[in-house]
Amino acid sequence: MNFDMTKPIPDMQPWSAGFWEGTREGKLLIQTCGDCGSKIFYPRKYCPECWSGNLGWMQASGNAKIFSFSTAYSMVEPKFMDELPYTVAYVDLDEGIRMMTRIVECDPADIKIGMEVEVTFFQRGDFYLPYFRPAKK
Amino acid sequence: MSKGNIAIIGIGEVPTGTYPERKPWDIIYETCMEAVRDSGLHKNDIEGVVAVAPQAQPRLSAEISFGKLPEELGLKGCKDTVICNAGGASTSNCLRMAEHWIENGIARAVLIPHVTVHSTIPIPELVNFFAQAGVDLQWEYPFGSTYNIIMGLIANRYMHETGCTAEEMASVVTALRSWASRDPNSIFYKKDVPSVEKVLSSELLNSPLHKRESNVLGDGGCAMVVVSAEDAKKMKRPAAYKLGESVRYFSGSPVLRDFRKVGEGFKSTAKEAMAQAGIRKEDVSIWNIYLAYPLAHPIMAEALEVAPPGQAGKYFLQGRMSFGGDIPWSTIGDAVGRGHTGSGVSAATYVETARQLMGRAGERQVKNCRYVYQNTSGGSGFNVIATIWGREVK
Repeated sequence: MNFDMTKPIPDMQPWSAGFWEGTREGKLLIQTCGDCGSKIFYPRKYCPECWSGNLGWMQASGNAKIFSFSTAYSMVEPKFMDELPYTVAYVDLDEGIRMMTRIVECDPADIKIGMEVEVTFFQRGDFYLPYFRPAKK
Repeated sequence: MSKGNIAIIGIGEVPTGTYPERKPWDIIYETCMEAVRDSGLHKNDIEGVVAVAPQAQPRLSAEISFGKLPEELGLKGCKDTVICNAGGASTSNCLRMAEHWIENGIARAVLIPHVTVHSTIPIPELVNFFAQAGVDLQWEYPFGSTYNIIMGLIANRYMHETGCTAEEMASVVTALRSWASRDPNSIFYKKDVPSVEKVLSSELLNSPLHKRESNVLGDGGCAMVVVSAEDAKKMKRPAAYKLGESVRYFSGSPVLRDFRKVGEGFKSTAKEAMAQAGIRKEDVSIWNIYLAYPLAHPIMAEALEVAPPGQAGKYFLQGRMSFGGDIPWSTIGDAVGRGHTGSGVSAATYVETARQLMGRAGERQVKNCRYVYQNTSGGSGFNVIATIWGREVK
């Protein structure tokens, strides 16, 4: 069987380019609305709260807590098999944003809900995916 | 005052399983002809066809979308046809479209078919389709997410908040399979019902989901004939009347789904649908739940107030939702019991709702079945549609 083994890169949109440019510089950016002050995730063309196009970016601290996680051992797409086991998580940034990520640089058995984590960037092609690792005390 | 505008008066179904020799059009012919005959109508009485969109089958989907079904079946009275795609919520939208056509005089009798044949789709295509459907290709897919992992994220959080144990979660499979083992249309018909220990001893796919807590893909299909409630009464045949409906949208991307909002949505839509139907929770004979994954059932049982907060897992473990238990629940066993047919499990659940209200569910027949709560949900859970069905208009 011929599986596509290409690792997927983010399906970037023009209005999310700033986010991915930030990751190349080691910055985790949050889109903000200049009119209503909303913090927006994921980045949109217009503010989902007030439909303003006056959008900008703020740098997040990179600190977060794990809201939930699931460690994969099997039954993922063939293109991800070589990375097993891996842990996918929802993390809540200190700035009030929830995002999907990977938890890395630790034993999956040590991962807990509520655990403090910090951002680290993982290169895939021309992109740097925001992963998280246990926060250094 | 209940909604009571339409009724299902005919049903047809083929067994779910792996039958590569059974072509999609074999299933369409068989189920549609059975449903029309069951309704007591002639094929030319069917004035509208509203089809459930088959997932991951673009050629079949295009054929049905562009009007082939009435032509193929020789439905000479057909005035129009359309396909509805909202993933697992497609069938609810087919019923809504049928209701609209019937209320507005576009059609008096509407045929709603579903067909899925997974077994002839090349595995790489199937894997890729289900990996990308219902997740965001920028913010989720690159992290290696899958439907199983999304379910794992939900289940882990629920277990963390409620203290629900792995044994209790596994018992949902036992409960659902106890119904499926008695369903001639199930992939697990007459198969042993796995114990909690057997479920937990199966491979851990991703925490906390075991292999026996995930779904087996199958081929299947069914069809329903829908008419106005008024016509159904005149026809003096067993029927399932739609009495209430309520819906909430949550989010297209799982990461943006607020868990509390989902729980509240499950709860309020059920209450609103019951209020519309003029019934109370105690009047519900069957909770016919479609959630695809067993690990989501305790969340639903608590949201519906069928079980107290944090106690649903215990209810399942005690066998209260199993065949013979005091809370008839998902009487085809949801996707883990029936076999997963893409958008078809919800269609099969509606057929089961009708079958139970018509008093024709065989060994699974719930005694004195008067009202059925049935939900559907689309994609990876972007919405919930709650409906109440009765064997008569209140």
